[in-house]
Amino acid sequence: MFFKRRSAAAVALVSLLALTGCGLNGGATTSALTPDLNQRIVVDNFRAPVANWALESDAAYILSLSGCLETLTKFDQAQGKVTSSLATDWKQTSPLTWDFTIRDGVKFQDGTILTADAVAASLQSVLAAKVPARAFNPDVVSDVAAVDARTVRITTPSDSPLIPYRLASVNTGILAPAAYKDGTIDPFGHCTGPFTPVSEKPKQSLTLDRNENYWGGKVQLAGAEVRFITNGATRATQVQTGESDISLSIPVASLSTLEGDNNVSVLKADSPRTATLYMNNGKAPFDKVEFRKAIRSALDLESLANSIYEGAALPAVGPFAASEPWASPETAAPKQNLNEAKKLLSAAGYTATQPLKIVAIVERAEFGDVAAVIQQDLAKIGVPITIETKEYASVEPDLLAGNYDMVLSQRNRLIDIADPIGFLTADYTCKGSYNLSHFCDADYDKLIEQAAKTTDAKERYKLYANAGRILQDQAVNVWLVNEQAIDAVRTDVQNHVQDPLSRYVLTAKTSKSGS
Amino acid sequence: MIAFLAKRTVALVATVLLASFAVFLIPYATPGDPARKIIRSRVAGDAIDESAISSLTTELGLHDPLFVQFHRWLGRFLSGDMGLSYSSQTPVVEQVLPALGITLTLVVAALGVAVLVSLILGITSGLHEGRRTDRVITTVTQALIAIPEYWLAPMLVLIFAVKLTLLPSAGWVSGASLVLPVAVLAARPSSYFTSAVRSGMIEALDAEHVTAARSRGLSYPRTIMRHVIPNGLLPLATLLAVWFAGLLGGSVIVEVIFSIPGMGRLLYDAVLNNDIPVAQGSVVLVVALAVAITTMADLVHRTLNPLLGDNRA
Repeated sequence: MFFKRRSAAAVALVSLLALTGCGLNGGATTSALTPDLNQRIVVDNFRAPVANWALESDAAYILSLSGCLETLTKFDQAQGKVTSSLATDWKQTSPLTWDFTIRDGVKFQDGTILTADAVAASLQSVLAAKVPARAFNPDVVSDVAAVDARTVRITTPSDSPLIPYRLASVNTGILAPAAYKDGTIDPFGHCTGPFTPVSEKPKQSLTLDRNENYWGGKVQLAGAEVRFITNGATRATQVQTGESDISLSIPVASLSTLEGDNNVSVLKADSPRTATLYMNNGKAPFDKVEFRKAIRSALDLESLANSIYEGAALPAVGPFAASEPWASPETAAPKQNLNEAKKLLSAAGYTATQPLKIVAIVERAEFGDVAAVIQQDLAKIGVPITIETKEYASVEPDLLAGNYDMVLSQRNRLIDIADPIGFLTADYTCKGSYNLSHFCDADYDKLIEQAAKTTDAKERYKLYANAGRILQDQAVNVWLVNEQAIDAVRTDVQNHVQDPLSRYVLTAKTSKSGS
Repeated sequence: MIAFLAKRTVALVATVLLASFAVFLIPYATPGDPARKIIRSRVAGDAIDESAISSLTTELGLHDPLFVQFHRWLGRFLSGDMGLSYSSQTPVVEQVLPALGITLTLVVAALGVAVLVSLILGITSGLHEGRRTDRVITTVTQALIAIPEYWLAPMLVLIFAVKLTLLPSAGWVSGASLVLPVAVLAARPSSYFTSAVRSGMIEALDAEHVTAARSRGLSYPRTIMRHVIPNGLLPLATLLAVWFAGLLGGSVIVEVIFSIPGMGRLLYDAVLNNDIPVAQGSVVLVVALAVAITTMADLVHRTLNPLLGDNRA
């Protein structure tokens, strides 16, 4: 594999679509060449499973991107909607129940048949986890049961139109009954996906072979190896040398090198992560909207995106990325306006007495520099700042209790499901479980309550946009930059579609042309 | 000799206890609830349910005084049970032993290369003291001492993996995977060893017994082989043990850069994830091995140089 040199002529023939910075939908690679069914592929992933394949952990992402784990539904990034997967159909049969029809003719990789009983047992084990996944836990799902051979009924404690989204979460992946033994999970041979895991080198890699009996059609690769390489520079090097075919999450520092390499396509997409300066709205001087707006007007987001993020992030237009379907179309990134900021400070009645503190969490190395830039910008309007760097877990109790001024952090809006309802509820409603900003607004809460009951996605997105507008009008936080998901792919890889959340990487259609 | 061994055994036990207690304190040394940190390492998400934190605290006995918790861990450890990893809930020993095997392979190979290189360069340099060859070797080895691993590793990757495509850039899959990490790990000990061998050679060349051997008519090559080189190599025994111990715990950077699942990376990940049982198991094993090896080196040194034993006894 390593010493294999690809024919320059073949590479030259590969037609490439490298869509850069074109929205939440990732770029894609296609090719006119015939795929070689004997090819294997190497994917460098940025994390290794740490929780012994427990589905409530990040291990579910690894099993999903590897083409092993499948869910009842799937979120189609291009269409922006939930589509069928192991379930062919679903409907809300009463305000508190959803029925899912299980796909016929699907077998687990161990040869057993996918039945409603197997699905129900699998989902029940997700609910029973000691610390269940946010997408699927007893707070949002009260029961899972097989109604008949092909129907699974999900019961919810309250009206929940988002259950199909929850069942697209990788944490709700379906495994065969034999995968659950003695409180542990064994995914080997127990998935339904196009690739069967055959061996694992702990902390190193997962090797997979083609699932010859895959329900979704002929798998175009003979197999794959997913390597766990935590060092970003190493992932970038491996795709450059051809040791890997797809490297996920490329660091900014390696971008220019890879973009100059004819054998590599760099794919970029808006990620659902926005670096945010959280402000404690419940504490003076942040309890005055004029003061919060002054902070926002003092910051130069464009310069921040270009300097510290080296152009690999875009100035944030608000709580959502501009390309997200629920982002308000008329919003633009705030511009620095020091005069306006000073006027707002004056209107807020602010006088500098003692410095305000920004906590920069150490898990994001760049936040120390971001804090320093903010400190300089705020000094220009006479707001003195001190910076403290802390481990997130150590500062979280203080954030939740409201014992802080400002904190630099970032959130994945779609961490649980492909819809921001969880984020908007937890982070900004009066009773939100993760309301770090300590923001409370009755109008906002009403919008979110209404959205949570709205089945029609377009209508729901409008409500989200309105909610986002309230957050921006109230300058609840300063949304600094929207990060981009950057992956690199060798040009002989075909039919690869970038997923900004790295849930779907190896699919039955992924292929590679011959050497 | 028995007194020496007894002393060293006491030192070994005390060092292991101290090291394991120091690791045990890590989650308490930084602010925040250890149970919260453990859950965060396992499940992504927002605010963690307080009942989950409370339940885990009770399950792991984290309410108990530190000394009680440490005593409990020690009791289990002495019976051969390193406990379960907080993150994976699998036995620590199943993670630690394979990682130790990989790091030992890496360290032994690096030291082997370092010894080989230092013998060639050190002897050549010593025999050409003050001449151009000696100056070149000394300059190169001193430069290597100054080069940090985090710079040397990417440079070697750039040359041999990216430009020449001769070697893999990372991983632990074949013999070829060993070459670059071993080269990086061997660079600094090679320099120190070369310097030591050179000094030993120069000292031995000036020794009276060497002059006497030459005056008895022994040829120059034979004198070098029989009387100079063996004496010149003596300092290597101690240096080897010190470097062995150092590299066992000090290979973190190389293991992270080259994605090698050894002890360094295991410990690094364990500390990042607050996986204390894994961190404790790793540290105790590395420290015990390091102390045992330096003790053995001292024993070898005392055997080769009986005067040292007399002085200390």
